[in-house]
Amino acid sequence: CSDDLSSVNVDTKSPTEVPADVLFSNATKNLFDQMVSTNVNRGIFKMVAQYWTETTYTDEANYDLIGRDINGAQWIILYRDVLKDLKEAEMILNENPDPTLSEANIQNRLAMIEVLQVFTWHVLVDTFGDIPYTEALDLENSTPVYDDDAAIYADLVVRLNGAIDQLEAGAGGFGGGADYIYDGDAAKWSKFANSLKLRLALRYANVDDTKAATMATEAIAAGVFESQDDNATIQYQASAPNTNPIWTDLVQSGRKDFVAANTIVDVMNELDDPRRDDYFAQNLGEGVYKGGTYGANGNTQGNSTIFGEIFTDPTLEGVILDYAEVEFLIAEAAARGYITEDAETHYNEAVTASIIYWGGTEAEADAYLAQPEVAWDESIWLERIGIQKWIALYNRGFEAWSTWRKLDVPELPNAAQSGLPVPLRFTYPTTEATLNGDNLAAAASAMGGDTQQTRVFWDLD
Amino acid sequence: QQQMTVSGTVTDSNGMPLPGVNVLVKGTTQGVQTDFDGNYSIEVDQGEVLVFSYLGMKTTEYPVTNVDTIDVVLEQDAAQLEEVVVTALGISREKRSLGYATEEVAGAEVNTAKEGNFINSLSGKVSGLDIKKSSTLGGSSNIIIRGYTSLTGNNQPLFVVDGVPISNANTNTANQQTGRGGYDYGNAAMDINPDDVASVNVLKGAAASALYGSRAANGVIIITTKSGQKNENIGVTISSGVTFSKMDDDTFVEYQKEYGAGYGEFYETGYFDSWDVDGDGTDDLVVPFTEDASFGGRFDPNLLVFQWDALYPESPNYLQATPWVAAENGPESIFRTGVTFNNSVALDGGTDKSTYRLGYTLYDQEGILPNSRIRRNTVDIKATHDFTEKLTAGVTATFTNTNGKGRYGTGYSGTNIFQSMRQWNQANVDFEAQRRAYFNTGRNITWNYADAENGDFSPIYTDNPYWQLYENYQTDERNRLYGNFNINYELTDWLSATGRVSMDYYGDFREERRNVGSNGVSHYQRYDGTYKEINYDFLLNFDYDLNEDINLAGILGATARRLDNAQMRAGTTGGLVIPGLFALSNSQNLLTPPNEAVTELHTNGYFASASFGYRDFLYLDATGRVDEVSSLPEEDNTYFYPSISTSVVFSQLLDTDWLSFGKFRANYAEVGNYAPPLSVQDVYASPTNFTTPLYSVSSTANNPNLKNETTKSWEVGLEMEFFQRRLGFDVAAYQSNSVDQLMPVTITAATGYTSRWVNAGEIENKGIELSLHGSPIRTEDFEWRVNANWYKNESEVISLYGDNKNLQMASLQGGVTINATVGQPYGTIWGTNYTFLNGERVINPTNGRFVVDGTPQVIGDINPDWKAGISNSLSYKDLSFSFLIDIQKGGDIFSLDTWYGYATGVPANTAGLNELGNPLRDPVADGGGLLLEGVNPDGSPNTTRTQMSNYANAIGYGYAPNAYHTYDASFVKLREMTLSYSLPESITDRISMADITLSAVGRNLWIIDKNIPYSDPEAGLSSGNIQGYQSGAIPTAREYGFNVRLQF
Repeated sequence: CSDDLSSVNVDTKSPTEVPADVLFSNATKNLFDQMVSTNVNRGIFKMVAQYWTETTYTDEANYDLIGRDINGAQWIILYRDVLKDLKEAEMILNENPDPTLSEANIQNRLAMIEVLQVFTWHVLVDTFGDIPYTEALDLENSTPVYDDDAAIYADLVVRLNGAIDQLEAGAGGFGGGADYIYDGDAAKWSKFANSLKLRLALRYANVDDTKAATMATEAIAAGVFESQDDNATIQYQASAPNTNPIWTDLVQSGRKDFVAANTIVDVMNELDDPRRDDYFAQNLGEGVYKGGTYGANGNTQGNSTIFGEIFTDPTLEGVILDYAEVEFLIAEAAARGYITEDAETHYNEAVTASIIYWGGTEAEADAYLAQPEVAWDESIWLERIGIQKWIALYNRGFEAWSTWRKLDVPELPNAAQSGLPVPLRFTYPTTEATLNGDNLAAAASAMGGDTQQTRVFWDLD
Repeated sequence: QQQMTVSGTVTDSNGMPLPGVNVLVKGTTQGVQTDFDGNYSIEVDQGEVLVFSYLGMKTTEYPVTNVDTIDVVLEQDAAQLEEVVVTALGISREKRSLGYATEEVAGAEVNTAKEGNFINSLSGKVSGLDIKKSSTLGGSSNIIIRGYTSLTGNNQPLFVVDGVPISNANTNTANQQTGRGGYDYGNAAMDINPDDVASVNVLKGAAASALYGSRAANGVIIITTKSGQKNENIGVTISSGVTFSKMDDDTFVEYQKEYGAGYGEFYETGYFDSWDVDGDGTDDLVVPFTEDASFGGRFDPNLLVFQWDALYPESPNYLQATPWVAAENGPESIFRTGVTFNNSVALDGGTDKSTYRLGYTLYDQEGILPNSRIRRNTVDIKATHDFTEKLTAGVTATFTNTNGKGRYGTGYSGTNIFQSMRQWNQANVDFEAQRRAYFNTGRNITWNYADAENGDFSPIYTDNPYWQLYENYQTDERNRLYGNFNINYELTDWLSATGRVSMDYYGDFREERRNVGSNGVSHYQRYDGTYKEINYDFLLNFDYDLNEDINLAGILGATARRLDNAQMRAGTTGGLVIPGLFALSNSQNLLTPPNEAVTELHTNGYFASASFGYRDFLYLDATGRVDEVSSLPEEDNTYFYPSISTSVVFSQLLDTDWLSFGKFRANYAEVGNYAPPLSVQDVYASPTNFTTPLYSVSSTANNPNLKNETTKSWEVGLEMEFFQRRLGFDVAAYQSNSVDQLMPVTITAATGYTSRWVNAGEIENKGIELSLHGSPIRTEDFEWRVNANWYKNESEVISLYGDNKNLQMASLQGGVTINATVGQPYGTIWGTNYTFLNGERVINPTNGRFVVDGTPQVIGDINPDWKAGISNSLSYKDLSFSFLIDIQKGGDIFSLDTWYGYATGVPANTAGLNELGNPLRDPVADGGGLLLEGVNPDGSPNTTRTQMSNYANAIGYGYAPNAYHTYDASFVKLREMTLSYSLPESITDRISMADITLSAVGRNLWIIDKNIPYSDPEAGLSSGNIQGYQSGAIPTAREYGFNVRLQF
């Protein structure tokens, strides 16, 4: 009778074993969705970077992270839905790999997992500062300590270097379409890893110039993105629920929550930017671009410029790192004297790549760059890169926000209703205070407070 | 034979006269009652026998000789006191022998003033029972006996009907239970037909329910249905009733009537948009349609503006500006009077060897919202037959068919029309005009156009409520069969064997719709669920007198339970193609796989009980049970738990006038409980496929090391009856500790999981229960009876998992959470609070707002301090009148309705005058604004008025702490009132009927007192552990009606 008893306590509808591929795919999808989404319940970076503002309900544009637990969504999705699945995939590949795979292929897969893990960890650190890291992802420790953000970064660099060394071009990777980013192409992953390393290198600018210079030099030498074809993207599908998450919020929801913020519209108007007709709709009349006052009431889709048509395309690709960003990073590294490349060339290439990506032409780019307010000027390189990279990162709010925190360009006004300045980090999710309160308190104390104006380690005053 | 008049006085053994004693001529229906002084007088023939009977006294017979005075002394009858109650496993026991609390409710108390969900009719009638009625049509009732004992598991009692454990499952979605929308399909025990109920017996403590095993850890509600009697003629009972339901205004939002649409003075002309509506080339004043709030322009009948009804061609006001005034027909105009018909017929009877009862009931209820209806057909049969002197067998079967249509949407969703009515609305919108707009066009003409200026007339947030009710209604059907087959054989005169197979099977089919043209993606979803439980019981019963003084009785038994549950939810993806066609195949995109769940649970139980009785005075009971369950790890799936109880009928020892009965009881018991199925082994979750299949580590970690949880409890009680039982009380005190709780604890996502199954934690409940009954006045024709009960339960979370101090049970919209926190009662509401200085609320002197303490903290407790019920019944001859007052003191509830509503300026208290007599909404500089009570940070009283002229005011969700919207849920309710008249026998006899009773009944008639504005403090989300929260609360329906019962 006992045998009979235990045999009925089996979930006949769910697997107890799966291949690493499906977990890797799921983590990839969740990571992109979170980085791309503009849902007011999970990803409000388009507001934080002041590209968009809200119409009727303006809480998020006024940096209310708590009301909809936006900080909680970022935390939970990245830890549970991305990192845990990546770690599980890694465990399966190490302990119980598909016997038909070559060792080199397995090593490549592990390296790809490692690159995505490093990417995710750095997003978490950039969002919150100190976070559980060394003791994280361990079911047996439900009160993991928070590690120092700089220490985590240092380890991420080591891990990323390891993954770069491990990737072997030609030995393949995740197959059968399971790798949504590069379809198992290890050479592309190598470029992605080095581009990510370049991004991290420049996070170290001013904090540790030597380390920043070394990392940037190594990354560029090893090979970073060389064209938009190298971008780290996911191809969303035409039909729900696999569309670009932006489509879900802008089109499928039937809501009219967002308009373009005056912050970016004014800057682009000033520069006569050729990307305006892509970034924005001409709903107020041909050639008319008028953003809603950031964070204010009374903005409607009737009285303010809205987003361009491309953002209502369900198949719009999701991007987490692209060629234009890499070119901006090289330009910055050059301007800072980390490398010997020509800053202007890369700056021009970055702006041009962005304009062409959004549907512009070389001619438009040339004309744009010829304007004195846009043209490279070594003496004010920080402002040039700051403004142009901010414009280029229009559809990537998170990276725009991080870049802004480091470069402090352009000047972003306080939100109109709350009067709050742009957050310098997210406060910890409210649930963490009850679930892991002592460790949270220690981290808050180490960082100088758990506030929106506390700085992560690379964001110097 | 000679007719003569016999008279006399009836007294008790102490010489006290007994009024109301029945004096009957034996073998006839002829009889009288003694008067207040115990005197009687009756016409009788010599040689006949007079029978004197009185409750609690030995019935005594006197033959009539030639003496015309017969004074009678009635003696107390111990046997009469031996009230028999049904206890665990259907075993009948003398109540006096029980060492634990049981409380019985007579059938008439649940089937006179009927409720659609019969559980609600127990409210206020049993001490220790906390019942929360949902206001929605066919919704669930939360029922808790002696507090919550399980941190995250089921806390609802077990329901047993005629020995059949029946499911009381709540299969509402998690979203529904946390206030995020969806329908409340009720709890499964509501299928019990009140017309068939003979009595309800509540087993409260673990000692009472221990023999039922694990599933009875939360107490048991035993229902005995009506049955036929041996040697009776055929009896026919016809009962017919009609009930009317009307919305109780005290439980709905009252609109302010001074200001219209908008969030403040933010639009093109201040309060209005400006564009050319009528095409005359000049811009017009237009209502800001997208703004679902009422902090707009002050109403002014001389101001003409273009409103929503100027923008659809069929409108009488098409392209016309109309006066800017408050709606003549506010949201309350949507309610109708619901009509419920309840008709039943039952036949019962028997022979000297058989009994039978057959019944049919049709219950047909219309809700107070249009297009809502629930119909329930119940057919039941109950029969017994004595095959031989020793072999008897019986069968019961009940079939119910329930059809629902248009159940009200619940929670924070457009499906729930009260969400917008209470939280997001424009006080200028006339709901009668909305009704016309829908019925005249068949389209979703909303007041909330997405972008009217650019020709987008779709709703941006809120559908036309009539469209919602008539196009997006749900339907459901449940077919259910439960019953048992039992056979009993008397092996000897002291030993018998019983075998019983009982079954409960039901299938649910539910369809939910959102038609093309609605706000949001059109959708069709269906739910198919089947539930099957079969119990096989075998019992050996013995009852043996060891000698004259000592009796030994008991049971040896085994039971096997087999439970199968299968559920599937499937829905369209990306919308519907053909409007009005609600089928999976009508999906825009390829279907995502349906959500499947299949679980089985097998348990085997072995139990024994023994009861010693000494001289009908001292009783001692012991039970033990071993359970073996499939849902625990194989090596650790068996556990034992004992109980012991005693009863001392001390009145046997005392010889007093005033004490009729006295009993002391005490018990200790343990009950084990098991994990839900599928919580031992980890499996991968399957998110919707992308371009390739996806699997994910589950967000909840299972645990291969689980073991059973245990509740340990003790209880003492005292029952006393005085003055021939004119007055009595029952008082009980108890404590229970539930340890090693099986639960999925919330853990930080930094672990890679957000919850994990563990054995941990302890809850303690202790409480006092008191019930009192008395007959202050009793004369021949008139009696006044009072029943009162009161109880208090205190819970405390003693420990949780590891060092964790808090277990979050639900995170709810508005930023509040429901928690179990160490050192606190189970079910605390956490949220932002006021900042306090010496107990006063601190106000910011620069803007007059509260200084909010943003750290989440305890701001409320879902548990009442105490509850009480007082019922009075007055009867005069054949007329009786009774009413029940139901009282709750304490308990807190957070209202998402005022949280948002105060920010949108919908409710009446967001307008009006301030303490200076100036309009609240005028600028503070002009003497407007609200003066919040509190002190400045320096301790001086606040004198700064705060602006109330737009949504960013101090009392709405933007700037008020959660604590401001957390209310004391106390109430005093007139729960039930009945007036019945039974036609006198002189009339019924003449027309050959046994009984004709007419009654007028009312339920939920009046909330005499409450603290929460605009809603019923009982209104919540669903049955279950998530209480203390209102979101789009559904108003309460007052019910009143008439019944006729005919018995032939």
